[in-house]
Amino acid sequence: MDEYKPNILCFKCNFGWGYLDDKTEVKAIVKNMVPVTCSGKVDTTHILTALKGGADGVLILGCNQGECHFQDGNYQTGKKILLIKKVLTSFGIEPKRVRMVFSIDPDGNKVPMEIEDMRNEISPFGPINIGKCAMAS
Amino acid sequence: MSQKITISPITRLEGHGKIEIFLNDKGDVEDAFWQVVELRGFERFCIGRPVEEMTRIVPNICGVCPSAHHMAATKALDQIYGVEPTPAARLIRELEFNAFYIEDHYIHFFFLAAPDFVVGPHGDPKERNILGVIGKVGKEIGLKVIDIRKRNRDIIRHIFSKAPHPEGGLPGGVPRGFTEEERRTVKETADLSLEFAQFAVKLFKDLVLENKESLALITDEAYKLKTYYMSLVDDDNKVTFYDGKVKVITPDGKEFAKFDPVDYVDHIGEWVEPWTYIRLTHLKKLGWSGLVEGDKTSLYRVAPLARLNVADGMKTPLAQKEAEMMFEVLGGKPAHNTLAMHWARLICALQAAEHNVMIANDPLLTSKDIRNMDFKMTGKGVGCVEAPRGTLFHHYETDEKGILTKANLIVATQNNAGPICMSVKKAAQAFVKGPDVKEGFLNMVEMAFRAYDPCLSCATHALPGEMPLSVSIRDSKGEVIRAIERGV
Amino acid sequence: MAVKPKVAIYWLGGCGGCDEAIVDLNEAILHVANAVDIVLWPVAMDFKYSSIEKMNDGEITLSLLHGNVRNSEHAEMAMLLRRKSQLVLSFGACANYGGTPALANFRSKKDIFDWVYRDSPTVVNPKGTYPQTISEVNGKTLILPEIFDHVYALNQVIDVDYYLPGCPPPPDLILNAVSAVLSGKLPPKGTTLSPHMAMCDACERNKTKPFKLEIKEMKRIHEVEMDNETCFLAKGVICMGPATRSGCGNTCVSTNTPCRGCFGPVSHSCDSGAKFLSAIASLLQAENDDQVERVVDTVVDPAGYFYRFTQAASILHKFDENKNRRCP
Repeated sequence: MDEYKPNILCFKCNFGWGYLDDKTEVKAIVKNMVPVTCSGKVDTTHILTALKGGADGVLILGCNQGECHFQDGNYQTGKKILLIKKVLTSFGIEPKRVRMVFSIDPDGNKVPMEIEDMRNEISPFGPINIGKCAMAS
Repeated sequence: MSQKITISPITRLEGHGKIEIFLNDKGDVEDAFWQVVELRGFERFCIGRPVEEMTRIVPNICGVCPSAHHMAATKALDQIYGVEPTPAARLIRELEFNAFYIEDHYIHFFFLAAPDFVVGPHGDPKERNILGVIGKVGKEIGLKVIDIRKRNRDIIRHIFSKAPHPEGGLPGGVPRGFTEEERRTVKETADLSLEFAQFAVKLFKDLVLENKESLALITDEAYKLKTYYMSLVDDDNKVTFYDGKVKVITPDGKEFAKFDPVDYVDHIGEWVEPWTYIRLTHLKKLGWSGLVEGDKTSLYRVAPLARLNVADGMKTPLAQKEAEMMFEVLGGKPAHNTLAMHWARLICALQAAEHNVMIANDPLLTSKDIRNMDFKMTGKGVGCVEAPRGTLFHHYETDEKGILTKANLIVATQNNAGPICMSVKKAAQAFVKGPDVKEGFLNMVEMAFRAYDPCLSCATHALPGEMPLSVSIRDSKGEVIRAIERGV
Repeated sequence: MAVKPKVAIYWLGGCGGCDEAIVDLNEAILHVANAVDIVLWPVAMDFKYSSIEKMNDGEITLSLLHGNVRNSEHAEMAMLLRRKSQLVLSFGACANYGGTPALANFRSKKDIFDWVYRDSPTVVNPKGTYPQTISEVNGKTLILPEIFDHVYALNQVIDVDYYLPGCPPPPDLILNAVSAVLSGKLPPKGTTLSPHMAMCDACERNKTKPFKLEIKEMKRIHEVEMDNETCFLAKGVICMGPATRSGCGNTCVSTNTPCRGCFGPVSHSCDSGAKFLSAIASLLQAENDDQVERVVDTVVDPAGYFYRFTQAASILHKFDENKNRRCP
């Protein structure tokens, strides 16, 4: 039987993560990656839709605090994430399924590591199970 | 071979219910059940919400009487935040609550109850509705009812945004007050309402006391139920709506209990039956008696007749006079005549109207001091009001930040749940003899529970004059041996 | 003589407030009543289940359904009326998005039953009885509908043609909606029959919003003395105006009471709670990065505020991805 490996959707800021990398390399290793111009572009609806769509976890890789190329995009999303975690708890979804990392990683080498790290943290929770309803049919 | 009659008004009573009647071998009514088919869980899903949001959420319990839930919640907030409302805020709250009584009771009476008396239960079903009433008393009356309703609902809207649903009651205050200019409109509404209230009571007396058939109905044994009675009373033991102590009397009229609403848990029990989602309230200290009346019962009734039974009198002079007359006709206190609830309802509305005339003229009405914000978190509150449909309890507990951790509601109608079952059974027993079910039987049963609760009776009273009913009489194998469909 | 179009008004898991709203049309309702043949309206009119069943499919021109779907009876009636109707108007917050009772989706049915029938301080239940869909009492069989595990919005159960928002919808919007149907001047299917913009845009208090709105600390409504001009958000009080559709007449904000979002999402948005979360997050301002968490913590119960009326239609609980999205 296959061991459960959480499906992580990763939003990756292009200015802070992997900008020296020939993008094909990181993409080849990491499935379900969404490169964004700034982590500030990641909206609440994107994150919730990802979870609804079957992502067991959502990881957002943003720049170091105070170093956002667009002034404060990472900060804005950081605040959203804190609120989203609270909301997820009310929905019965573990707040750790959404994570934001503030750092810099020119080669993109750390990306697979961050994903693996998150996988390890959330795999005890099991797959996300936003139940299907019988009424739908 | 026992038989079953189903009154399934898939017309859905407010609170959505249905009635099942069972006949024994002889064809007499053996049992009747009023089943409530819904449960929403307000007591649980409000947990985790900041408690001051309850005045935004609980009005959604009922669209007919949201003001009742709203006011009970507001009062619970006062206790939780350790504040008394300012005198002006309290006055404004009472104004709104009385306005609610007025518009609520008259819609019920004219659209739903009056037809039974005006046209009579055996009258032409097509006439037994508001149009029949208007036919007898004149079109202006119909328009007046609509106008009085609108005016009083405008008072609710002014303070609490909407009707339904009023919102925004605050601990220690109200969100909005009145200017002198606005007082003029309030005064006009209050004066017109008082005029109308007196007319309504007179109309009822003319229709009933002058009409032998109607009077006979009201005093008919089939519509009597000997239970305890519960209501709020003020410090003088008079009928009160907004605030007071809870008083309970025995079926013989003696005081059984008098307590602060905060202690309601010691006195009220809720029994669970598998055939209904509503819990059946009863007097905890007596234990659950089952659905019986008289000496052995632990059931109590609430709402208009109960109020007049329990209290020593009405708070306002005109209403008091009318109450005295009512008890004279009914043969003293306490009166057990279920149909007299209609009469008592009009007397309560009269008191509300008289009181609002006083409030409209009170200088305090336009005070700007409508918020007391000297909060001290206590973490517990039991907001209790005498709602149009009966005594209502909202019990909330919170953590130290004022986030709701526990909620328990005794909803006004619940208090009558057991008695409604019994009233239905009694009426059915009186009029169903043998397998041959008369047409009139259906009306008689409707009348028994319509008296209790406008929400229920809304659904049972059709414009054309009849509740659409499908009655199936089945034998013990479940086969239909006779079917009546009325209103086809 | 022309045949009057048949109209049905029916309540599912609602509170009756939407029916009261229709009655609040006052005299205007008589004009509507004259133009149509109301075949079903439990609150006021005669109705036979069997006669609705006997109708041809599509015989009813318009069904106004209000209330959410919480038990088997609601589901049955919703499906029956869908079959018999040409157009279904989802009427009111509960039908559209679940309404406040959809907050029950944050808890389990078991949790509710255990409290109501066992743990409440007033419950007296020595035998541990729980209501059953089928029960026997002295040899008699009694039936109750099944209460579902979940509160559904109407369009999660049947196909819906139009939406009328509000708790309850105000009289003018009701009249416009019904008139539009009767005159055949209808917008595209799936439209919400209310203005497209946010409540915030229609609000008088918008004028007092500072150019740069910053909330350093969220306040609870009772902690603040509200005048009749200042924007609630400017005072640190949660007001769902920015993420809520307009059309309500701003009755709450006019009575110094902040918006709680009963009109649901604006056009082209499906989850007003998510949108409002983003909006509030952008308004929160911390002195420095260490303070961010503390400031965010002053927003108590975000899920309860953001999804007060719309839980059932939220992204996380939106079912049946194969159906067309609800957004207009």
